[in-house]
Amino acid sequence: MSGLTISNLTKRYKSDTVLDDISLEIAEGETLVLFGPSGAGKTVLLRCIAGAVDPEAGTIAIGGTDMTDVPPEGRGVGMAFQNFALFPHMTAFDNIASPLTARRFGREKIRSGVEAVAKLLKIDHVLSHAPKALSNGQKQRTALARALAAQPKMLLLDDPLRNVDAKLRFEMRLELPRLLSEQGATVIYVTQDYKEAMALADKIAVLVEGRIIQMGTPEDIYLRPADIRIAEQFGDPAINLLEVTPERDAQGNFVSLSKKRVELGPGYDSAVGRPCILGVRPEAIGFSGGAEAIEVTIEAETPFNEKTVTLATTKGGREILISRPAGTPAPASGTAGIDIDASAAVLFDQETGRRIEPGSDKTRARDAA
Amino acid sequence: MSDTALDLQAVNKIYNPRSRQAVHAVRDLDLKVDAGEIVALLGSSGCGKTSTLRMIAGFEAVTSGAIVLAGRPIHTLAPARRRVAMAFEGYSLYPPLTVRENIAFALKSERIDQTEATARVDEIARLLDITSILDRYPSSISGGQQQRAGLGRALIRKADLHLLDEPMGQLEPQLRAHLRGRIKHFIKERGLTAILVTHDQTEANALADRIAVMEDGELQQFDTPDVLRQRPANLFTGTFIGEPPMNVFDADAAEEDARFVFRLGDGVRLAYDPGAFRPDLRETILARGRVTLGVRPHSVRIADDGAEATVDASQWLGDQTHIAARFAGTSIVSVRHDRMRLERGDTIGVRVAPEDLHLFDTATGAAISHGGAPA
Amino acid sequence: MEHTSALERVLRGAALSAVVLFFMFPIFWIVLMSFQTNETILRSPPSMVFEPTLSNYVALITGRLETQAGSLDIDFMRNLMNSVILSVSSVALALVLGVPAAYAFARHKFRGSEDIAFTLLSFRFAPPLLVLLPLTLYFQQIGLADTYVGLVWVYQLICLPLILWIVRGYFEDISPDVEHAYRIAGHGWGATFMKIALPLAGPGIAAAGLLAFIFAWNNFIFALVLASADKQPVTVGALAFVTASGIQYGQIAAAVVLSIAPTLALALYAQRYLVEGLSLGAVKG
Repeated sequence: MSGLTISNLTKRYKSDTVLDDISLEIAEGETLVLFGPSGAGKTVLLRCIAGAVDPEAGTIAIGGTDMTDVPPEGRGVGMAFQNFALFPHMTAFDNIASPLTARRFGREKIRSGVEAVAKLLKIDHVLSHAPKALSNGQKQRTALARALAAQPKMLLLDDPLRNVDAKLRFEMRLELPRLLSEQGATVIYVTQDYKEAMALADKIAVLVEGRIIQMGTPEDIYLRPADIRIAEQFGDPAINLLEVTPERDAQGNFVSLSKKRVELGPGYDSAVGRPCILGVRPEAIGFSGGAEAIEVTIEAETPFNEKTVTLATTKGGREILISRPAGTPAPASGTAGIDIDASAAVLFDQETGRRIEPGSDKTRARDAA
Repeated sequence: MSDTALDLQAVNKIYNPRSRQAVHAVRDLDLKVDAGEIVALLGSSGCGKTSTLRMIAGFEAVTSGAIVLAGRPIHTLAPARRRVAMAFEGYSLYPPLTVRENIAFALKSERIDQTEATARVDEIARLLDITSILDRYPSSISGGQQQRAGLGRALIRKADLHLLDEPMGQLEPQLRAHLRGRIKHFIKERGLTAILVTHDQTEANALADRIAVMEDGELQQFDTPDVLRQRPANLFTGTFIGEPPMNVFDADAAEEDARFVFRLGDGVRLAYDPGAFRPDLRETILARGRVTLGVRPHSVRIADDGAEATVDASQWLGDQTHIAARFAGTSIVSVRHDRMRLERGDTIGVRVAPEDLHLFDTATGAAISHGGAPA
Repeated sequence: MEHTSALERVLRGAALSAVVLFFMFPIFWIVLMSFQTNETILRSPPSMVFEPTLSNYVALITGRLETQAGSLDIDFMRNLMNSVILSVSSVALALVLGVPAAYAFARHKFRGSEDIAFTLLSFRFAPPLLVLLPLTLYFQQIGLADTYVGLVWVYQLICLPLILWIVRGYFEDISPDVEHAYRIAGHGWGATFMKIALPLAGPGIAAAGLLAFIFAWNNFIFALVLASADKQPVTVGALAFVTASGIQYGQIAAAVVLSIAPTLALALYAQRYLVEGLSLGAVKG
């Protein structure tokens, strides 16, 4: 069954189109991550689903029921806000209890419900505190507990880890999947952190300027980004983007970097002669002493999270980032040779920024025939 | 042996010293920064790093102690006379000036001629990728661009010391790795001495030659990133440095059947060949009995013959996999550079090599040993 | 920096004292006057040394004023009562009307909402006489002249804009997310207004109510024109001391002291609300 179906949703503020004809569908119990830069419309989309913002056009169905004109209190969703949005004049207990009191549960049922979810989130010892007496991490967990308390079928999480420190964020990132799957709810999770997106998503929808420019599994997004803007955002250190013009000779399609061949493999016929951008992840480049290696000058080595990232420039002045696990032998500073693993590279059309899918021209030819 | 550029001697900072709300922000800080070195002051908010920076820059008076820069005591001088250049955390560009004028403004006191000034601004603009916005005003550019312009204004100056306060917090993620490399190259090439104040260890690790870890106003450890990772002086540094943080377990040490054994919670035992630990260390550990055992996520191996653990989450991030598993009554995190497909509920074996073990005193947190050798 | 020299402290103290003296002196002088007879008040040069008397207060409370020209009946206690009735009912009505309106203006931006809000505020700019003349005529025709209802109605010109504008600001300061959160939890908009918006804007509503009360209490011109003797508040009532045989400064001073006492007490009591403000600290900026 469908957990959430959104069709042709459009939202404008004055002349600004914030959401432009959004359609998407999520299966029940799935986690969809909405990823995108700030101002892309993620939060507005989430609010439309919650009913806090009314769209100009389009429909929203939750669990198969059309909810487009239902006020927020009737949609039965749970939501956690980026700024927590706790009720400052109520204790943590009353905050978490608010979805239960709305459903007119008895006192005993409310108490046991709040205590169960508080225990799950390890905040049962601070239930009597007012929000201002809570640490940032506890506030965040209280907000999450409030969203979960009534065990909603649909859970909306608006960048809930944004305002907590790195250590807590990491802890929660590993804890959340268990929590969410125990709830069995359909989840929409908004974030700007690609690692959170990769870690938590069944599917990722990348939103840019009010449009979904790609929706797919983390694997699709990371390995086969549909657009250069997606490639740039996923990966740290960021992907190397090199301006190239693919060529063809008897041996096949290739691009040349510093007069060295990098094989593209078949299927890129349509790209030959067109200005393109080659995307190569820093971890797909290795140091090599071979004759085919591209000669570079090492600019700086920056240790990064159990990896070492090297900034190097080619003779033509292109900057290249190379990443390797920490502790693996380093080239002597000065010059070195590098090898590009072309099988992991992606090619984008320079003009449109869209990825050129290998073999797509062949398929098209077959379809035409 | 290189020269000392900056020397902090027993520096103290106490706010409201005579009132009941006295705050001892910096305690007896001794720190020597060599000429041409990049040092990071790293700590969470309230650890004293910003007070230290402000004392060096001259925005805050030292309560006691001395600050010597290039042989001159500077702690009584006005900020403008300390020969210190600073990039502020807030962007703090002058709104009525263009980006170019903002950056060139720093050169006014150097009295250099126009063509050279222009050349230097252009060079720094190329470095920071702001050439295209040089003629715009601060209000019309993004936060990341403002921060880069602010950095440019600090780096362009010739000074005995460059102070960079959270210089990359606002930068566009996809530019960060490039800019880190370029800035490090720029500082090294010119032999500048720089102090970087940050709460972000990624930044500190990437740029700094040595990192001063601060907490509660006290210097916890001052050493190279490698030493901080491999030989943390105490449990605080051990768990603070490293992403994701170190796994920590309480353990009882014992000798059983000629094996050196750590008993963790939930009946889990880590057994080693006694030869992996130096004899004197073995005795120290056995005499203590209870120790705190730390192991970095990157050192947690997954092997069939290891101690049993149940997978809670397995997250592939593109270039690495993070695995969280229930283990020894708590949870353990393992990180690998490749992709590993595991499902929640899978049973895995966890192994930790003796050379990856860090032992700490359970009461004080002081390090006892790293990888079989005493700390 | 945190080091201040002794000289700096002395100078700062002197400057502060001068400011306090400048602002507090008239009040201090009035209080002194209220304990003096007309003769001691009017002597020249004025002196701080006198024999205090309670006669002014006695006259006000008993309602009999003895002058050289004979005795005069005054109704000061009744005026005081009128002030209380008028101010309290005006503020109460303004709160009932103004708080929901302020909420609507804060949360729902519709075409012209800004203009309507500004028009309401602009009543504060116009001189009261501008509306008074036509109102007097209308009120006489529809029988509202010289009634409490009519006065309370006119007093809305003072109270309503004040409450609307101050309370609107407080509502705008509440993060809409907090209200969204309560509605998403399953509560209707009415419950959200009562349980979230009202309590959170509480300090602001208290502050606005207090200010409106003080303005209503101090109003002079509306009551002067629209009310006869038995509906007049203290501000107008004090005119009775300007008698044919001279101005009764002592009684005026006592009347002023009595009439500012309630507002002063209220202000002191509510100070804590005003200072507490909205900083309850669960929502990060």
